[in-house]
Amino acid sequence: MIVREGGLMGMRSMLVVMAWMVLTMMCACDGEEPESEDHGKIIFTFFHRVEGEPLQIDTMIYTNAAGNHYLITEVQYFISDVILHQSGGSGFLIDDWTDIYYIDNDIPSTMTWEVFDKIPAGSYDSVSFMFGISQEKNISLMFVNPPERDMFWPDVLGGGYHYMKLNGKWLNDGMSQNRPFEFHLGIGQIYSGDTIDVNDITGFVHNNFRVTLPGSSFQMTTGDTVHVAVSMNIEQWFTGPHTIDLSTFPFNIMQCQECMRVGCENGKKGVFTVLISKSKEQKSKSKTNF
Amino acid sequence: MIRLLHIFLVDISCLFFLLSCQHEEEVDHHPTPYFFDIPMFYPTELNIPDDNPMTVEGIELGRYLFYDGRLSGRTDPDSMMSCATCHIQANSFECGIDHPTFTGGKTFGLSGKPTPHTMLPLINLVWNSNGYLWNGLISGGNPSPYHQNLESLVWMGIVAPHEMAGDTNRTKALIQSIKGYPELFAKVFGSQEVTVDRISKAIAQFVRTLVSSDCKFDRYMRGEEQLTESELSGYILFTTEEGADCFHCHGGSGNPLWTTSLYYNNGKDSLFTGEFEDPRDRSHVTGNSSDLGSYKAPTLRNIALTAPYMHDGRYKTLDEVIEFYSHHVVWSPYIDPLMHHVSRGGVQLTPKEKADLKSFLMALTDTVFIHNQAFSDPGGL
Repeated sequence: MIVREGGLMGMRSMLVVMAWMVLTMMCACDGEEPESEDHGKIIFTFFHRVEGEPLQIDTMIYTNAAGNHYLITEVQYFISDVILHQSGGSGFLIDDWTDIYYIDNDIPSTMTWEVFDKIPAGSYDSVSFMFGISQEKNISLMFVNPPERDMFWPDVLGGGYHYMKLNGKWLNDGMSQNRPFEFHLGIGQIYSGDTIDVNDITGFVHNNFRVTLPGSSFQMTTGDTVHVAVSMNIEQWFTGPHTIDLSTFPFNIMQCQECMRVGCENGKKGVFTVLISKSKEQKSKSKTNF
Repeated sequence: MIRLLHIFLVDISCLFFLLSCQHEEEVDHHPTPYFFDIPMFYPTELNIPDDNPMTVEGIELGRYLFYDGRLSGRTDPDSMMSCATCHIQANSFECGIDHPTFTGGKTFGLSGKPTPHTMLPLINLVWNSNGYLWNGLISGGNPSPYHQNLESLVWMGIVAPHEMAGDTNRTKALIQSIKGYPELFAKVFGSQEVTVDRISKAIAQFVRTLVSSDCKFDRYMRGEEQLTESELSGYILFTTEEGADCFHCHGGSGNPLWTTSLYYNNGKDSLFTGEFEDPRDRSHVTGNSSDLGSYKAPTLRNIALTAPYMHDGRYKTLDEVIEFYSHHVVWSPYIDPLMHHVSRGGVQLTPKEKADLKSFLMALTDTVFIHNQAFSDPGGL
């Protein structure tokens, strides 16, 4: 009987506790998902263009500033440390779990980056990002899964990951056979001697650089979705401060710091442009007709 | 009325019979989940279909089937064939060049028809997410439900004329009749019924366990063993553009699978049409002419065990392969840009560099894998 009474009391107590827990959880749920009043979201879309037109891969239809005809087969690169700059020098760093983002023209899903972070409402003067991976984050073996994994940069050459692989072929007038080129950027090496011998490496150069997108100011108000359309204008890699003639430029440059320096200086000038637009978040309301 | 009552009673009895049969066939079906121990530096994303989760019982069944020559649907010793007839553990689950039947590594099916390409090894496929076979025909992107994944490859192996040249009904019936198999199927799938779908799933589960991660270079990466000077020099050549420049397609310390699993025209040939056309190259899967003469970059793990080399087995030794990449790369409009050394015919290695590169490649041989008892023939049922 005591046992039975205790059982009944236990059940009654349990019901009270359960009811309290349900109420608490309901309150907690209400508190966890407050209606946002002070932030919006941001979506990056990446485009690859040549002379203002969408890139057509594997097609020898382009001519660079040096007069080389060329085609592109792959465009693969990282950007990192995206900052939304605010007036007064402050900025919002997009963290989004990793703050490193990979773009690959062969993988459509990489061409749109719907940022997880909620962006505080306010006025933003500009958007900037690191081309490649910033020095302190460019750590070998941090990506174990493809496709990022396959961007690894050999440890003996400085380690970490390729900032970019831009592969293609070029052809000059009068040539019967096109020639491949690999325009790969990453950590450069300083060699003590005249030959490229890894035993003579005395230092490394981190060739990443910050790109501040021109004309990238925007106003974020509550419920906004800001669309940042980033274009890589591929022809600009071969011109700008330096006109690159593919017939004299080395066809592989991972062990040519001077080549990568030239490439990066071009990259800082006009390779990336942006178009910003906004849409208002559409909140769907269910309506039932009886 | 009596007739109606009779029909009713017959129906009821049939229903009870069916229910009782169902009850009889129901077995204690709680397969044990199999958890992968992912080796250091290996991908964390596994290619395991949602409809075929790996279980201890499934792997056990798959192992029996993998080694059972009756999978071909035949019992005559001369016409039995299993997966293991060609996929031999000692050769990294490839045929190898010294096979007594498949001379020079040239395999053929029970119909006598030669297999179109040389074999690819069955190792580390649980991480393969970019198609199977040299041309990637079997892939999640293929619209055909029969050309999707590792399971599809098993089904193909049973029926293809250049493999078991079998008949799925004969295979099902034969496996169903062998004492022990129905019980194993019940443990895995909940009933004793043998189907080709279930056979494929079980074998695919076993194949996904074939993990190689203990070659000398793995131990070097884990800090357990040092490479020789020659092996280290070979590795540096492997991963430098001014050296042998292998890493863009075949990986390196950052990619321990030793392949990107992507497709490349590596400059073996200059002609790809007419009599030189291969109807099974990558271009015939993608429909893109830019993929003419392109094939999957095979893993270099255990490469010393898997001669002959290239999709058509044209090179018998690693020395021949190194010689090709060093001096005999040929241009075509379809050559991959990563083969940029084509302008001088190859990477131009010196004799010492060739020897060092070969030393390094030998350090990718995983003898622990080829002797792993868990992968060996369990003996017949």
